[in-house]
Amino acid sequence: MTDEITILTEALTKHYGDVKALVDLDLEVRAGEVFGFLGPNGAGKTTMIRTILDEIRPTSGTASILGMDSHDQSVDIRDHIGYVPGDLSMYPSLTGRDTLTYFSNLRGGVDWDYVDELADRLDADLSKKVGDLSSGNRQKVGLIQAFMNEPDVLIMDEPSSGLDPLIQREFQTMVREVAAAGRTVFLSSHTLSEVQRVADRVGIIRHGYLIALEAVSSLRSKAIRRVELSFADPVDQAAFAGIPGVREVEAGDHHIILSFDGEMETLLRVATERDTLVDITTQEADLEEIFLTYYRDEETLA
Amino acid sequence: MLANVFTKTTRDWWKGMTIAVVTLGLLFLMGMSVYKDIDLSIYTSLPEAFMSLFGIPPDADVGSLAYGAIYTGYGALTLATVVLVLGAASIAGEERKGTLGLLLGNPKSRTSVLAAKSGAMVLLTGLGALALWAFGRATPALLDVDVSGIYVEALVFAMFLNALFYGFLALAIGAWTGSRGLASGASAGVMILSFVAVGLLPLVDSLSGLVKAFPWYYFSASEPHLDGIDWGHIAVLFTGIVVFGALAVFGVNRRDLKSQNVGVTLTDRLRANPTTRRVAELMAGTARVSRIWTKTLSEYQGLLFVVAISMFLVMGAMIGPMYNFIDEALISMQGSFPEELLALFGGGDMSTPEGFYQIETFGLMAPIAVITATVIIGGRALAAEEANRTMGLLLANPIKRSTVVLEKTITMVLAALVVGFSTFAGVVAGSWIGGLGMSVGNIAATSFLVTVLGLLFGGLALAIGAATGRVSAAIYGAVAVAFVFFLINGLVPFSNSLAGWAKVSPFYYYLTSDPLINGMHWGHAAVLTVLTIALVAISVPLFNRRDLRQSG
Repeated sequence: MTDEITILTEALTKHYGDVKALVDLDLEVRAGEVFGFLGPNGAGKTTMIRTILDEIRPTSGTASILGMDSHDQSVDIRDHIGYVPGDLSMYPSLTGRDTLTYFSNLRGGVDWDYVDELADRLDADLSKKVGDLSSGNRQKVGLIQAFMNEPDVLIMDEPSSGLDPLIQREFQTMVREVAAAGRTVFLSSHTLSEVQRVADRVGIIRHGYLIALEAVSSLRSKAIRRVELSFADPVDQAAFAGIPGVREVEAGDHHIILSFDGEMETLLRVATERDTLVDITTQEADLEEIFLTYYRDEETLA
Repeated sequence: MLANVFTKTTRDWWKGMTIAVVTLGLLFLMGMSVYKDIDLSIYTSLPEAFMSLFGIPPDADVGSLAYGAIYTGYGALTLATVVLVLGAASIAGEERKGTLGLLLGNPKSRTSVLAAKSGAMVLLTGLGALALWAFGRATPALLDVDVSGIYVEALVFAMFLNALFYGFLALAIGAWTGSRGLASGASAGVMILSFVAVGLLPLVDSLSGLVKAFPWYYFSASEPHLDGIDWGHIAVLFTGIVVFGALAVFGVNRRDLKSQNVGVTLTDRLRANPTTRRVAELMAGTARVSRIWTKTLSEYQGLLFVVAISMFLVMGAMIGPMYNFIDEALISMQGSFPEELLALFGGGDMSTPEGFYQIETFGLMAPIAVITATVIIGGRALAAEEANRTMGLLLANPIKRSTVVLEKTITMVLAALVVGFSTFAGVVAGSWIGGLGMSVGNIAATSFLVTVLGLLFGGLALAIGAATGRVSAAIYGAVAVAFVFFLINGLVPFSNSLAGWAKVSPFYYYLTSDPLINGMHWGHAAVLTVLTIALVAISVPLFNRRDLRQSG
């Protein structure tokens, strides 16, 4: 990451009639950074993205990308960006390759060797008509479309929706490569784990308000997990209740279920000290639970 | 669930039906007041064949003229068009949107969904007919016109069944093929072709028997507004409806549902075949997606092909030789045609080849053909990309919104030129085959004027689409405006006090100067061109200032 600010919004606000879709958003995203924009469905993520891309116009406030005003210089901005809209929709009667050719022509050409490389990495079939593709395979064409001109800023709205886990991992690698090359990635998501895997920093948005802006590492420490421990012999739950970060304990005969946001190491030490740990499963708490736990105050403020 | 499909379909479509019926009602009011205003003695001199062509009875009075021209002609066409669009959307439309599978995920059979859709279609058509009946009864009472000899109920009932005939035809085609475009296109083709045939074939003695092969005959030939219901003809229409309904049930049950609206086109086949791939790639592949206008043009190749071929063959080349077969009697009676009356039908004198072409081709069908192409392309230009949620992706590229408007306008202009040129070429060919010796230059001038006239309404559709982002508002809005202006231009010349108002109608600048006889009227061409450019120009700021819509 460098100090160069690539995406900047100042008091960016968008109302649809009485509905406040986005309220006073102040955000800075820097070159070389992967920024995750996290929030439940309908929080305002898409509104923010559509506003900075000049698809819709802010009610008040401003946004700029690479120092250019999002409205006045939108055409110049779009020379430098790649974009994957949420709920992607393309031209059903064009093949993947036709679609990419079309957009490449509108950009004045792309490096087709790179396109083939991207298609190869994502395992995308470009010979079929887009309308005949499953939504995941359609998404791949959309991703290639955004990556293919090697943009300075990649803006992606729920980019990994529909992708299977293997392809998701490849996509995340591609995203990291873009950031490593000093370019910027801005992606929205409603799943914490995805953002955690790929992003450097996270902005959390809810009901149109940005309620938190954190480094992923600090968010991770806040991540509540549901941990289920199975033991060879019956265990005493009292030993676990005292561990810092344990919020709820549910005990069975041979197993214990914890709501936990402390250090995993401490938990494992306690679990293995006296008893024989047979199995452990951990599950990520959903975003809503994190909101309720950590950001209740911000929410009431909002 | 059945009730839900029924009510939802009704709710989705009542607006279109209401707009159509209210427009017709107002036109009827306008038409009847104009007819009331004029000296009806001019009708006594009309040749019978001509009058029957347009549903005018020999003892014409205000009532029979108004019902004949506006209800039997435009009214029946409009009602049937609305219903056939609805029929085409019923199964094929949901399939195209991908919602049919969702619908059938519920524990209901395909047949019951079809039944609910058909029920909604019948109900809406019935309500439309009922409203037309109310307008048809209220207007003469309001204007104090005696309509005692007119069978309004019989007429409206025949219109109702006639409309359902084409609605169920479209439903059946849609149910069999799953293609909405094919369903509406083919049934509209049958409707227009049979409407034209019913007007034209009786003029030719040797061909007049053929007219019974065309379904429109069973609506209009018995003149229900004058003679009441002809149960034999009604039975033919009803049988058609039942047969199409049964075919639809069979069709929708026998095949796989489509997942998306991707059909295999001819170019796809050519592309798949190794020997033709190179040529097809040139046409369909790289060239197709090289620019916005080329891609847009490729989306309408089917529509343009059908419209251009129909105009060339049916309305152009075939009309010329037909002229030679027309009753001598008809021609000999032409001397006394009142100009004003002819204005409504495109203002032509049937005793000359030019007049015959004006009535048959340029008066109604050529404007319909060009306006169909331009309004569909213009109306969909911006709004369809928004409804299909591709506009965001398109505008993520470094191009201005105005560039998109202009590129799409190029497509519209080219499409209008294709239709205009095929009309020109068809009429030149028809004149040559029939040995009519019409001036090629004048045909070119008339074809040019109809092209620009179409572009004007296409520009209007573009502007409405730019301002609203809604396809249906753009297309139906522009068609409604065109329809009203067409009738204003045709009707107000009847009335001395209103005659000057014809100039507000763009149609005035199309045929009033008799370009087939007098050649190009540059002033009128300029009026149409300037208005078209203005509409395209205003589309740019209308589109620029607006938030893109997120979904359809």
